[in-house]
Amino acid sequence: MKQGRKVLIVLSTSGTPESALEYAVKRASEEGTGLVAFYPVDSDLASEAFDSFTDIGFIGDKPSSELSESLMREYRQRGYEELGRVQVLAMEAAIEYEPIMEDGNFVPQVLDVIGRYDIDLAVLVSRREHSFIKYFSRDMAGEVKKQAGCEVVIFPEK
Amino acid sequence: MKVEIDTRSIWVLLGIKTLRPLFFILISIGLWAVVTMEPADGLSPEGQRAIGVFLLCLVLWVSNMVPVAITSLLAIVLVPLLGILPRSETYAFFGNEAVFFILGAFILAGAVMHSGLSNRIALTMMKRYGHSPRRLLVSIFLLAAVLSFFMSEHAVAAMLLPIALEISKALGLRPGRSNYGKLLFFALAWGSVIGGVATFLGGARVPLALGILQETTDSTIGFIEYTVAVFPLVVVLLIVGYLVLTRIFPVDIPDVAKAMGVIEKRAKGLGRLRYSEYAVGVVMLLTIAAWSTLGHTIGLSTVSLIAVAVLFVFRLVRWKNIEEYVNWGIILMYGGAIILGSALDKSGAARWLVESLISDWATSQWAVFAVFSFLAIALTESMSNAAVIAVLVPVSIGMSDNLGIDPALLTYAIAVPAGLAFMLPMSTPANAIAISSGYVSVKDMVKGGFIMFLTAWVVFNLVAAFYWPLIGLGG
Repeated sequence: MKQGRKVLIVLSTSGTPESALEYAVKRASEEGTGLVAFYPVDSDLASEAFDSFTDIGFIGDKPSSELSESLMREYRQRGYEELGRVQVLAMEAAIEYEPIMEDGNFVPQVLDVIGRYDIDLAVLVSRREHSFIKYFSRDMAGEVKKQAGCEVVIFPEK
Repeated sequence: MKVEIDTRSIWVLLGIKTLRPLFFILISIGLWAVVTMEPADGLSPEGQRAIGVFLLCLVLWVSNMVPVAITSLLAIVLVPLLGILPRSETYAFFGNEAVFFILGAFILAGAVMHSGLSNRIALTMMKRYGHSPRRLLVSIFLLAAVLSFFMSEHAVAAMLLPIALEISKALGLRPGRSNYGKLLFFALAWGSVIGGVATFLGGARVPLALGILQETTDSTIGFIEYTVAVFPLVVVLLIVGYLVLTRIFPVDIPDVAKAMGVIEKRAKGLGRLRYSEYAVGVVMLLTIAAWSTLGHTIGLSTVSLIAVAVLFVFRLVRWKNIEEYVNWGIILMYGGAIILGSALDKSGAARWLVESLISDWATSQWAVFAVFSFLAIALTESMSNAAVIAVLVPVSIGMSDNLGIDPALLTYAIAVPAGLAFMLPMSTPANAIAISSGYVSVKDMVKGGFIMFLTAWVVFNLVAAFYWPLIGLGG
């Protein structure tokens, strides 16, 4: 394995396509590098549910926070499962594997992982969106591609 | 340290940054313009100012730029400040019975949740009836509905979410892909929404509508009278909801044996029925009986507050627990909404709005009923249902005199559909949690929700036209 150079697969919270996983494992295997899988935890959805329950539903602090804790627990559980899926593929391909799961803003978090792990190639998944919506919303994967100092390959979401 | 660079167009970024302050500047100018302009023909200066405050609240409630309770707070401040009503009269509206009824009902629901009784009922029902995919689905759908007869639909949805997540996990359902996963979370959300309109306890919107009705006309609607009028609608919507869901998302799993394991484990974890659960259940049932039988004579709020006192006398709850379960912002929201409604009525603004905007087309009682019920069900998709009540009930009551319609009938026309939000996550918190589970997408919700939106409006009007005369309502 090349010293210090790695392939990063950024897992999508709404399902990473098999093609993206296979591509990342294949590249890591061909180039003899390690594979890093990163699962960003989407804490925004849980906090939106909390806000909606306290602001509109007028239910108290305890049930609202229990609700968002349940959602966060669920998101983390899904993260472990996705990371486990990649681990199986990495073991089959006999490549070194490192799983990461962190909360935070997507773009800085991915760039931070790229820097921290000295990533050579990053594989990301982007959401399919109507071009009108695209103009007003941030293309997160595109932003990572622009700012990352490494090769970035983007796969469309399933 | 990494610096995040936003690569969107500079105009989009500038627009986003300046939108919020610009919005508040514009609505302030709008309010100032309405308040200071020459009053329209037939409208008093106080009425003109009341319309200004009404429009401001409407914009803020629709745009959600500030929390809904804060918008109500603005109404409370602006009504005396602009001289629409005297200060002492404005704040006296907080003493409205509806505010105390809502508060008491929320405290009772908090006690039921804190005791664990609601959780036990949910798990027992699922364990008993949910032995096949369809039966488990029906159990969750009916459970969410029936529990929402007795406590806030939002609290029911929040309580059932962790159970639904565990069931989905045990069954290995893939978020966003599994039809059965979608069905479970739709059942939870729509069950709560449909059940929430069955009684005064499913949400605070009906008591709020009653509060405005009482302040402006001195008439009211009884606890049982309301439920008897609305129940057929609830039954039809539960049947249609189940059919719509299972038609759009056919059941795609063969059995639910693994889910039963999870439910049984959870139920076992609760242990035996505790004294506090039993006692809180008895207090709740006696309170419902008292609301039904004594509500007209001693008042719904009096019954609520006696029940709350009983909970504390028998040490079934502690104040600390209740503080955690009740959102006190509710007093601001509902107190403010009643103040706004009363300001519109007492300043003559509601009557003027009706005469100048609606009276031309509002020629028949049923046309008015159908239009108000449509406005309520459509507006509730994009704004808080309490805000829909605060906006529409005063105007509809102003109209009842002109057309000789019972104001209580128009209150039904708004209060019931205002609770039936099926289409969007921002419509009601129950829909928001179905989306945040990851199993249901916004697209799924709009698709099924639109069918339910139309069905609910049509069925509600049919119930009003054919069933209500049989029970002596609006005949």
